[in-house]
Amino acid sequence: MNGRRVAAVVSKEWREIVRDRLFLALAFVVPSMLMLLFGYGLSLDVENIPFAIVDYDNSATSRDYAYRFIDSRYFDFQGYTRDESALARKLSTNELRAYIVIPEHFERRLLNGSPVAVQTMLDGTFPSRAETTKGYVIAINSAYSMELLARFAAARRGISEQQAAAALTPVRLDVRYLFNQSLSSIWSIAPKLIMVILMVSPPFLTALGVVREKERGSIYNIYASTVTRTEFLVGKILPYVGISLVNAGILWALATWHFGAPFKGDFVFFLLASLIYVVCTTGIGLIVSVVVKTQVAAMVVTAIVTVVPAALYSGVLIPIPSLSGQAQVIAHLLPAMYYANIVTGTFLKGAGLETLWRDVAVLSAYGALLLAVGFLMFSKRPRS
Amino acid sequence: MNGLRRWMTRLRVMTQKELLQLLRDTVLIFFTVYAFTVDVFLAGSGVSLSLNRAALVVYDGDHSQASREFASRFHEPYFNRVGTLDKPADTIDYLERGEAMVALDIPEGFEASLYRGQPTSVQMQIDTTNTVLGLLASSYGQQIAGQFSLDVAKTQQGLAPDGDVAGPFVLDEHRVWFNPNQKDSWFMSVSELLTVITLFAMMLPAAAMVREKERGTIEQLLVSPLSAFQVMFPKILAMTLVILILTALSLGLVLKGIFNVPFKGSLVTFFAVTTLYVFTTSGLGLLVATVARNMAQAGMLIILIIAPMLFLSGAWTPPEAMPDFMRHLMAISPLHYFIDASYGILLKGSGLLTIAPQLAGMAVLGTLIFMFGLWGFGRQFG
Repeated sequence: MNGRRVAAVVSKEWREIVRDRLFLALAFVVPSMLMLLFGYGLSLDVENIPFAIVDYDNSATSRDYAYRFIDSRYFDFQGYTRDESALARKLSTNELRAYIVIPEHFERRLLNGSPVAVQTMLDGTFPSRAETTKGYVIAINSAYSMELLARFAAARRGISEQQAAAALTPVRLDVRYLFNQSLSSIWSIAPKLIMVILMVSPPFLTALGVVREKERGSIYNIYASTVTRTEFLVGKILPYVGISLVNAGILWALATWHFGAPFKGDFVFFLLASLIYVVCTTGIGLIVSVVVKTQVAAMVVTAIVTVVPAALYSGVLIPIPSLSGQAQVIAHLLPAMYYANIVTGTFLKGAGLETLWRDVAVLSAYGALLLAVGFLMFSKRPRS
Repeated sequence: MNGLRRWMTRLRVMTQKELLQLLRDTVLIFFTVYAFTVDVFLAGSGVSLSLNRAALVVYDGDHSQASREFASRFHEPYFNRVGTLDKPADTIDYLERGEAMVALDIPEGFEASLYRGQPTSVQMQIDTTNTVLGLLASSYGQQIAGQFSLDVAKTQQGLAPDGDVAGPFVLDEHRVWFNPNQKDSWFMSVSELLTVITLFAMMLPAAAMVREKERGTIEQLLVSPLSAFQVMFPKILAMTLVILILTALSLGLVLKGIFNVPFKGSLVTFFAVTTLYVFTTSGLGLLVATVARNMAQAGMLIILIIAPMLFLSGAWTPPEAMPDFMRHLMAISPLHYFIDASYGILLKGSGLLTIAPQLAGMAVLGTLIFMFGLWGFGRQFG
């Protein structure tokens, strides 16, 4: 590899980027814009669930029970009603996500010391939301049941309510949240957003790099020149790696300063790991560019191999262990998963090379492999 | 009459040209078919947004029957025990290395205090790097511990000597509508199909337009007796046709064939809605094409529009928790309406009347976007 020839390709490519003002601006604006939009908008929390209550009992006890839901920040109370068919309709128009039916004789049965079944109707189109909502309902119900039982047992056995409550809960689960004690979503999500954005935007920068020259015919200048395949490919991707690395720095600054995510690790290590990662992601774009024949195909293929996997198989929305079978395989085939370990490790856990060396090694191998594949697929003597 | 026929002929010829151009790109066709079939299948079969088999490690300091019974209640589908520890200090290591998400720490003397009727506490440590799953794990843990407590209390405190249910409490009864078994495959495969439709509806017409600009063939079209509308519309028409055919393939082969998604509503309605959506979204693509001078610019602009659309419209995350201003911003995303309408038709069996607001929203947006695109085109080349 001749350094001067690489420099020549780099400077040609760089000049092309700089002269396309809109493109140059977008190369920096897009990642930051996405960070801001996702940072404010992307929330996995299930909150403000719109729900209604059907109260057939209409007693002091049933109203007290209903207030447990109305007061909860997880639910957004839409009113009492008795018209169940209207509620069913609202469930299908998304005006409601759940409704609760308190049966007749709710109060009487409880005062008699017998159990009462309360029905909850849930919109199950989005399974994880339904599951979370169910969890909230169960939690509220069991807290309420515990109070009732304690009162009941206390009256029956002549002990104080506290004693009865203690007897009823012999096992208490002390939950401790690690790595993100305040449980604010943005802290845990901001580092992973860096991973997603650096997976989505760099490939688009490079995806058109080679195929554009093919379509325009300027690639024949390269075919006829002394530049070797490696020099050409390395020179092609270097400017974009540079841009993406600067973007990694900007995203880091947004995550820590703007969104206030704690950064416990070593910044130099983070930057080096990011460098390897952006080599991988720009490399993906480069491979696409070498394989396809038209710019249209390059754009579509890049979108399919980066946007969807970045969301589904990278661990930002769904943790990797929850994926099954072939989805696991895809996750392991993408660089995003390894970099996700690195960003969450350096941000939230303060980990360094000694714990993350495996991920760094995989990413390095990945980048080298991509360049090798690009080298093999790119030919200066095309058949057609 | 003659004028109308000529107009139609021009439209048909231009549409044919677009289709031919598309079909000759073999790599593109291959990936298009891949996206509508394999990609949808993969998302539907492997991805679940709920807490599934969370990796759990247990430190059992008591080694008693009660402690084993307690730990054994943390089982699938929510938890998956991956290890048993000898020292409580190891738990942090496991969590830090990411090998476990949840660690249970059962103290010594667990069984003894249960028999004495003294409350004991068991520690549950959760890696909450993913907040929602952390909360879900905690909620399931609480449910399990609560049930265990009640079982112990029932037998020990004589609330119900025969173990039967008695005493005043609220029994949970759930009915989950539209997807009673909460199959993630139904949700995810539909969501993935909508995502893929969005990607193609946006990119194909935009790319077709920018290509003409870049190569200069647009000049030929401009000197031909075609109006701006006749240049732009066939592009949308051709791509819509392709997308609809592939959507039918995906519905029949993957959604119905493999995942057995119950098509509760009418498929005709679904295709009508999809057509409207593809029109609207391709209008957005064409708008990008009027701004962009070359394909590289178009690619970056499309990413800028499409990534927030996909991530924030509710295909992957519940939209209720978004801050208010973001929710209002999403009102300008056609995908937002399409998601509600599609799930409504496919899973809930909604008719045209129920999804009328979504349709109206999409139609208004689509018309506005298309008018704007035409105006931009006219200003540039008129």
